[in-house]
Amino acid sequence: MSGLKLAIAAVAVLGLAACSNKPWNDDLNGAGGAGGAGAGAGAGALDPASPAYFRQSVGDRVLFAVDQHTLSPAAQATLQGQARWLAQNADYAVTIEGHADEQGTREYNLGLGAKRANAAREYLISQGIAGGRIKVLSYGKERPLEICSDETCYSKNRRAVTVLAGGLTG
Amino acid sequence: MQTGTKISLAGHGLLMTWVIFGAWFPSEPLPSNVQQVALISAEEFEKLSQQRKAPQVAPEPAPLNEPAEVQPAPEPAPQPDPEPEVSRPEPVARAEPDPQVAELPDAQPEPEVPDAPPPAAEEPEIAALVPRVRPEAAPRPVDRVAPEPVAPPEPDTRIDDVVQPEVAPDEGAETEQEVQEATAREAASDRIVTEENEGEDIAASAAPAVSKRPVTRPSRPKPQPAPDTQVTEAAQPAKPEEPAEPEPSGTSSAVADALAEALAGGADVEDPEPSGPPLTLGEKDALRVAVSQCWNVGSLSTDALKTTVVVAVSLAQDGRPDSGSIRMLSSTGGASSAAQQAFDAARRAIIRCGASGFQLPAEKYAQWRDIEMTFNPERMRIK
Amino acid sequence: MRNILAALLIGASALAGAGAAAAQTGPLRIEIDQGVIEPLPYAVPDFVPETPAAAEYAAEIARVIASDLSGTGLFREVPASAHISKVAAFDGPVKFSDWKAVNAQALITGAVSVTGNGLTVRFRGYDVFAEKELETALQFTGTTDGWRRMAHKVADAIYSEITGESGYFDSRVVYVSESGPKNDRRKRLAVMDYDGANVQYLTNSASIVLAPRFSPTGDRVLYTSYESGFPQIHVLDVGQVQRKVLSSGDGTMSFAPRFAPDGRTIVYSQTQGGNTDLFSMDINTGANTRLTSAPSIETAPSFSPDGSQIVFESDRSGSQQLYVMPAGGGEARRISFGEGRYGTPVWSPRGDMVAFTKQNKGRFHIGVMRTDGSEERLLTASFLDEGPTWAPNGRVIMFTRESQGSSGRALLYSVDITGRNLKPVKTPDGASDPSWSPLQK
Repeated sequence: MSGLKLAIAAVAVLGLAACSNKPWNDDLNGAGGAGGAGAGAGAGALDPASPAYFRQSVGDRVLFAVDQHTLSPAAQATLQGQARWLAQNADYAVTIEGHADEQGTREYNLGLGAKRANAAREYLISQGIAGGRIKVLSYGKERPLEICSDETCYSKNRRAVTVLAGGLTG
Repeated sequence: MQTGTKISLAGHGLLMTWVIFGAWFPSEPLPSNVQQVALISAEEFEKLSQQRKAPQVAPEPAPLNEPAEVQPAPEPAPQPDPEPEVSRPEPVARAEPDPQVAELPDAQPEPEVPDAPPPAAEEPEIAALVPRVRPEAAPRPVDRVAPEPVAPPEPDTRIDDVVQPEVAPDEGAETEQEVQEATAREAASDRIVTEENEGEDIAASAAPAVSKRPVTRPSRPKPQPAPDTQVTEAAQPAKPEEPAEPEPSGTSSAVADALAEALAGGADVEDPEPSGPPLTLGEKDALRVAVSQCWNVGSLSTDALKTTVVVAVSLAQDGRPDSGSIRMLSSTGGASSAAQQAFDAARRAIIRCGASGFQLPAEKYAQWRDIEMTFNPERMRIK
Repeated sequence: MRNILAALLIGASALAGAGAAAAQTGPLRIEIDQGVIEPLPYAVPDFVPETPAAAEYAAEIARVIASDLSGTGLFREVPASAHISKVAAFDGPVKFSDWKAVNAQALITGAVSVTGNGLTVRFRGYDVFAEKELETALQFTGTTDGWRRMAHKVADAIYSEITGESGYFDSRVVYVSESGPKNDRRKRLAVMDYDGANVQYLTNSASIVLAPRFSPTGDRVLYTSYESGFPQIHVLDVGQVQRKVLSSGDGTMSFAPRFAPDGRTIVYSQTQGGNTDLFSMDINTGANTRLTSAPSIETAPSFSPDGSQIVFESDRSGSQQLYVMPAGGGEARRISFGEGRYGTPVWSPRGDMVAFTKQNKGRFHIGVMRTDGSEERLLTASFLDEGPTWAPNGRVIMFTRESQGSSGRALLYSVDITGRNLKPVKTPDGASDPSWSPLQK
C-alpha cells in the first residue's frame, strides 16, 4: 500500500513537473490537464481525492460542437461528476479554461472559449458549487491539445477544462 | 432513489430552467470584475518616449542646391538624322541634358519592317468564337494586365512595347539594315489575377488564342512623297486633274477651282482648319489601341485612377509626337496632384508608343496633326 | 449639258466640303479607356560616394531603394547590367537617350557623403521619357546607423511623386514572433522595419502575448498578455521597452485593444461571466465606459481615422458579422451581408475602406469593403488568413497566414489592395498579428 502511495505521489510529481514546463501557465496544475495524460497508469487505483483522480476518473474536460458553447448530455454528465467531486473536496477552487479549434479568428475564439468555460461554470453552479470557487479563462485557439488540421483534432480542441487550484492536500 | 439519480434529476431540472430562462436572468457574477487600472499620466508617457533610441534622421529634409551648370561634353558630332522631321524635346529644367547626345532611337535607320500591327484593327481575327482552352493559359498569374490577354512569348524574345519580327543581317542588302531582335509583348492577362479569383475559369473567354496579323497598312510616309506634291498641285488650281472637262471655260474654271480646292483641301498642310476626308473609324481605332498599349496605369494612385485627363499633342508628319507639345487641357475627378500623375502617365504613353511614329495615313496628315486624347481610367480601376 | 454638269460638280464639291466640315472641326479627338497595368520600369544606379567612407553606403542605399520600389509591385527595376550610362557625378548631365534605350521610365540618382557618424544622402528623380526632373530633389542628413531609414525616405519620395500616393517605406511593424510546435507555441513581441530588417524583441516568451497595436504616433504599443494568468491589456514604450499593465482584475479578461486617433483613448473587449463586450478607456485617468451590452461576442474594435466611429465584429445575428457604431457607443449598423463569417475589421487610414477576415466554405480570406459594406472584394484565399493591418498610406495590407497541419506555422504576408503582389514578409521566425506603424517622422 505504501508502495502504491509512493507511485501515486511520483506520478503526481511528474505530472506537475511536466506542467511547470509549460510556459503559458504558472499554475501548478497547468493548462488543459495535459500533464494528466502522462499519468495513465492504473487510474482505478488512484486516491479518489487526488487531482490525478479528478483529471482521469472524473474527467476534467468537456467537448463542444463547432462554434457552439451549449453542453451536450455527455458534457453534462462529466460536469455532474466534477460537481460531486468538488462537493467532496471543498478546499479546491477551480479555473475553467475554455478553448477553441483553429478555425476561427483570434479574438472571436477568445470570446468563444470564454463562453464555453462559462457554460461549464454555470452548470457547476447549478449543481451546487459556489460561484466564488470557479474562475473562467479563455485561451481561444492559442493552446490546441491536438495539432492536426482536421476534425479528429478539432473536436478534441473545442473544450473546457476544469483545472484544480488551491489546496493540494488531497 | 439513488443519490446520483437525485442529483442528476435536480441538475437536469436546473439546467433546463437555465436553458429556458437563462437569457432573462443575470448569471451569477464572477468573483471579481471591477476593472482596476494602473494609471499612467501623460507626463509619464512623455518621459517614457523621450529617451527613445532610434536612428537620427533630420525631420525636415533640406532642398538640394541647384546643380552646377553642365558643360557640353566634347563628344563627336551626332550622326545626321536621316529623317527630316525630328521632334526635339524641350531641354530639362535642372540638369541640362548633353546637347551633343542625339536621340538614339531616331538615329538608327528604321529597317523596312512592317510595324507593330494594331491588334484591334478592322481585319477580323480568326473567327473561332468557341472558347478554347489555351494550353499556355497562364498557370502562374502574369504580372501584367492588358486590354487583351497576351500569351507568354518565346523564351528568347525580348519584351518590348512594339512587336517586331526578327531581322537577320542581309548580306546583299543595298541599305544597311539594323539587325533587329525579335520582340514581343510581355505576357498579359486581361484582368487582375488575385489569389481569390485565380482559380476561376479563364478559358471561358471567347477571345481567340491567336490573332491573325492584320494586313499591312500603307506604311508610314517616306520623307519625300505625298503631302508636298499635293500642296504644289493644290496651289495650281488652273490644272485640275480630276474634272473630265477638256476645255476650260469661265464657269468651268471656277467650278474646277472650287473642286480642286475641295479635293486638295485635305492635303493642305498650311490650312489652319483641317479638312479633307476624315480618318476612318478603323484608323482612329488603330491610334487609340496604339496609345492604349503604352498607357500604364499600374503605378497610379487610387485617386489618380479616378481622374480623367484631356491631353493635347501635335504629331509630326512621320507620326511621331512632339513631346514639347504635350499638355494637359483639363482634368476631372481628382485633385490637382492626382491630375498631374494621371497626365504624366498619359504623356509617357504618347511618347513611348509614338517613339517610332503612330501608324496614320500620310495623306490625311492635316486631320491628325493635332490630337486631343481623353484618358479615362474608369474601366481600369477594378479589372 | 455643260451647265448641268457644272451644277452637279458644284453640288458635289459643296457636299464634300460639308461632309468634311461635319466630320471634324478642330483637332482629332480620341478617347482612351483601355490601358495596361504593369510595373513601371525604373533604374537606380549605385549612388555616388562623395567621401571615402561613403562607399559602403552608396551601393547599399540604392539597393534598399530598389527593394522598396520593386517590392510594391508597381515598379520594376532595370538591372544595372542593362545600363548604358554610368552616373559618375551626381550633378552631371543625364543622358536621357541612354535610359530611354533600356526603357527605364524613371531614373533615380543620388550621392552619399559620410563625416564621422553623420550621413548625408542627396538624390534626384527623373521622368526619362518626358526628360524632366521630378520635383523630389532633397537631401537627408542623419547618422550612419540610420542609413536604411534614409534609403526608405528616398524611396518614399520617389514613390509618392510617381504614384501620387503617400509613401510607406519608412515605417515599422510590430508583431508576435512565434516559435515552437503548435501545441507549445512560444510567443513574444517583436518590432521590425516594414521590410523585415532590424528585428528587435520587446518581450520574452514566458507568457502568451497577442495582437500588438501601434499608437497613432508609433511610439507605444498596446497588446494582450497572459502574464498574470489572465489576458490583460498592457502598454509598452517601443523605444524604452518599458511595460505597464493597463487593465487588471483577477478573473476578468481584457483583450483586443486598439488606440483611438487621439492616442489616449483605447477601445477593447472585456469578458465578464463569459460574455464579451466592448469598452473604452481613457488611459490617462483610467476611466472606462461600456460601449455595448449584448449577450453575444463583441470584439475586434477599430476606430475610424476621424475618431468618430468604431467598426467591430459581433455574432449577435447568429454569426460573426461587421458593425459600425458611434465611438461613444449606441446604435450599431451592420455592414457585412455576404456569404460566410466576417471578423477583425480594420478601418483604413484613408477612412474609405474596411479590411477584414472572411471565413467561407472552409477557406479564409482577407478582403476590403467600403465602410457602408458595398464593393466587397476578397484579396486572398488560403487555409487560414487573418488579422489585416493597413500600411500608413492605405495601399497595402499585411496579415497573418497560417499553414495547415501539425507542422503548420504562421507567417506574415502583404498584398496590394488591388489583390496583386501577394508575397511573404521575411521574418526570422514564425510571425503573426502584424500592426503597421504610421510613417515615421
